[in-house]
Amino acid sequence: MSHVDDGALHAYLDGELPSTERAALEAHVAGCPDCRARLTEERALVERASVLLGLAQPAERPAPPLHQLRQPRLMWRLRLPLAWAASVVLALGVGYSLHGPSSTAIPHAASPAVAREEDRPATRAPEDKAPASLGRQEFSRTNRPSDGLTSGVEAKAAMRQQAQPQPRDAAPPAVAAAPPSVTVAESPPSAAADLSALRGRLVATEWPIIRREPARRILGSEPVGVPGLAVRVIRRSPAGDGTVLVEQQLDSATVIQLFQRPATADVAGYAAPAPMRYDRQAAGLRERENADRLARFVGPLRVEIAGPLSQDSLNRLLEQVKPLP
Amino acid sequence: MPEDIADVYRSTYRALVRFLYRKVWDAERAEDLAQEAFARALVHKPENARGWLFVVAANMARDEARRAARERRHLTLLKSEPETVGTSPEDEIDADTKRTQVRAALDQLTPRDREALLLWDAGMSYDEIAAHTGLARGAIGTTLARARRRLVEAYDAGIEGGQHVARG
Repeated sequence: MSHVDDGALHAYLDGELPSTERAALEAHVAGCPDCRARLTEERALVERASVLLGLAQPAERPAPPLHQLRQPRLMWRLRLPLAWAASVVLALGVGYSLHGPSSTAIPHAASPAVAREEDRPATRAPEDKAPASLGRQEFSRTNRPSDGLTSGVEAKAAMRQQAQPQPRDAAPPAVAAAPPSVTVAESPPSAAADLSALRGRLVATEWPIIRREPARRILGSEPVGVPGLAVRVIRRSPAGDGTVLVEQQLDSATVIQLFQRPATADVAGYAAPAPMRYDRQAAGLRERENADRLARFVGPLRVEIAGPLSQDSLNRLLEQVKPLP
Repeated sequence: MPEDIADVYRSTYRALVRFLYRKVWDAERAEDLAQEAFARALVHKPENARGWLFVVAANMARDEARRAARERRHLTLLKSEPETVGTSPEDEIDADTKRTQVRAALDQLTPRDREALLLWDAGMSYDEIAAHTGLARGAIGTTLARARRRLVEAYDAGIEGGQHVARG
């Protein structure tokens, strides 16, 4: 056998040399003083490198319990302002229900995510390849959240729902006529089905959280979402107009919203199902704010997407939307 | 299976933090990223959780580094760690200096050599390193031999080159 190369020596020292090669190496080293000396040197090198890396250690801190990771810490740090805004809206809603329409003239708080969305230019750049949010390898995996986690989310959703003084299933007519939120009150009363008017506002905090079952009932089919992304929460429109909102976690700081409702519930202007059609084209008279909403028909549902991402990224996500597993 | 991930969490969390720390050089950030990787693993339930976690963590660290470069907010190379074991200021300076020099030495490795070395030090096997890096298994020993030699040489050269690196 010729002399042993460095790679084999290191693999041997690391205990990673296959057994046949190991035996051959040991036999050679036993009879070769040069290689024996090199083995000693390389052993010292391996140890030295390990010691050096040991100098660059983070301080040891205990790991948090695994179950706490289901709501990543990062997310809540960033979401605190939104939680605060949610409680304000909730308080307003309660006040509104108790005192009626005459007592509200308070502007609603805008969430940071919404502000970012509204700051985006209306122009779309279809040539813009590989947006950062989609280029990440982990998001393209097709593994889906299992029932275990989904039920965990639903359980949490149910808990939160119990804490909210809002009706659980179909909204009673009184709520539809005068929803307990300033935002919705801004819309024309007859435009209950106008998703775009509701979107981009503090929708998330005003829409009651529902479980999967009621969502299925409202839609008449499975709610849809982007495969592989965790479903954060499912909500329904407080206006009782058959709209369901699925919020999914893109990463710790980014939530996308998928507004969906049966296509048959659409108002004029949305009637013809055509894949990848934009509101801009469908309703040319809409104002700029609503001009670049992305919508698509997925099976029997009309789906709109919103989130603090570029139009191109949202478009790509929307293309992936499928019934939730 | 969640039980499997719980096992992996127990056995691999520290290693993942260490791996990430040597990429982002911020202990708290490394923990955040490691926890986020595990949170994602809970959702995705990958078959090979360990390998998956390190790939996700490496991607997150790379995104992080890009973002940091973009924002030019890494002017201070190292945060001083309040938890440093040193008891006297001299010890702390010493530990900081050494860490800075190890970091500088690691920076001199090629990305692939560095990745292999960090993965090995995080407890991954040659097979796992090969799967992660795309290198042939038979090349891992050579890669590690080169990475270790360069690390040690660069570190020693840094020490000899004076203490100017020390004040990060």
